Amino acid sequence: MGKAIVVTSGKGGVGKTTSTANIGTALALMGKRVCMLDLDLGLRNLDVVLGLDNRIMYDIVDVAEGRAKLRQALVKDKRFDDLLFLLPAAQNTDKSALEPGQVKTIVDELKPDFDYVLIDCPAGIEQGFMNSIAGADAAIVVTTPEISAVRDADRVVGLLEQHPLTEEPRLLINRIRRHMVNDGDMMDVDEITSHLGIELLGIIFDDDAVISTSNHGEPVVLNSENPAAQGYRNVARRLEGETVPLMKVEAEAAPGFWNRMTRWFHKG
Amino acid sequence: MQGAVLRGTQSGYELVLRQSASFDQIMTDLRDLLEKLRVAPESEAVTNFSLDVLTENRLLQPDEKKAIETLVSEYPKFQIHKFESGVMTKADANELRERETVHVLSRTIRNGQDLEYKGDILFLGIIHEGGKLKTNGNIYTMGNVHGILQAGFPDDESKVVIGDTHDAQQIHIGEQFTILDDDADQVNAQTVAYVNDLHALSFGKLANLKKINPKLFNQIGGL
Repeated sequence: MGKAIVVTSGKGGVGKTTSTANIGTALALMGKRVCMLDLDLGLRNLDVVLGLDNRIMYDIVDVAEGRAKLRQALVKDKRFDDLLFLLPAAQNTDKSALEPGQVKTIVDELKPDFDYVLIDCPAGIEQGFMNSIAGADAAIVVTTPEISAVRDADRVVGLLEQHPLTEEPRLLINRIRRHMVNDGDMMDVDEITSHLGIELLGIIFDDDAVISTSNHGEPVVLNSENPAAQGYRNVARRLEGETVPLMKVEAEAAPGFWNRMTRWFHKG
Repeated sequence: MQGAVLRGTQSGYELVLRQSASFDQIMTDLRDLLEKLRVAPESEAVTNFSLDVLTENRLLQPDEKKAIETLVSEYPKFQIHKFESGVMTKADANELRERETVHVLSRTIRNGQDLEYKGDILFLGIIHEGGKLKTNGNIYTMGNVHGILQAGFPDDESKVVIGDTHDAQQIHIGEQFTILDDDADQVNAQTVAYVNDLHALSFGKLANLKKINPKLFNQIGGL
């Protein structure tokens, strides 16, 4: 029996969809069977990030309303041999086209066949949020080191306390800019974690490759050298119960004088 | 055994309605009793019987009270001062307990959460920015308040907020409020927020609580 995890944040644009795609892919890389659910009705894009947009035949509303079987609607990611699947959101329906009960039924139907069901929650705390948490066993709250995102994450943690899931929510801090944290211009990881008072699941450094790779429909996590990818891989390992130390935020020691001199010569 | 008995006390007259008698029995006996008293020669000296109606362990329904009042009002010599019962409903008892106890509260109130209590609160938890704690009583805080506190909710200006609230966003007492931005530096753990005689929320020192709110000061054991 698999576990359903909702990826949520309250605020938009903090990287819920990117995180869902990358954590899902990282889990598939570890050999887990993963199904991702896009619940952002009307504004689906998890399929695009995964490069699966051209393969969509049916969507979650079709399944909920009985126009398609669940098996028919699942989109398979060809890069992984029968490990990674996507159940896309509907594009042409109203946001209220789904009820929490319907989502729960679908998630419960998926759980026996998969190790993980990742639910990509839409921004906001309205019906889309309620739908997303309906079938979930656990939650990942995504935030960035910005006061607006942290404030909304706080609100979402509060709502999750009111609708408790089987497991306590865990925190993913996305888009950390090392140099800004080191200069004291950005909230640091400990500050955010202790403020929100929930367990830290992982930190992801801001990296240009996250954007450029999603533009090609290829999650950044496939590139094992990339720091953001390493962050997502660590998250996947922690979800599997491994103990993985946090990546260091502090930049490597500032290059010494001679180092800088030689670099300067190399530049020339 | 009589369902209704009249007793004289130092402070007046008590009309005891026996709990073992049925209500119909009480009404019959009460009518007899009043009728007897009306004609009794020794009662002529007294022109005004003010009655405390004691119902023992019985709770009278509103229509039953009404029936007794109507009956008594037929005899102009008698007035009902008050009804008193030895028991109360669970709902009333719970409300009383809520109102009288100091709730010790140690939890996190997050952005958007709005908690309402009855009675005084000793707050030991954390209120995040955007979180709100309301009560109709006083708030004593030793916790970490970054949100909004409201004592005397909704309109009781006699309540106070005691404790370190310098990180709070707002303090409300009754209908008065202050935004902590400007006053924050004068607030510390020894601060009392209260509503002054001009109906403005202001800050005072805990040492001056006797002056600020004598009633509370006496109630919590100050001399």
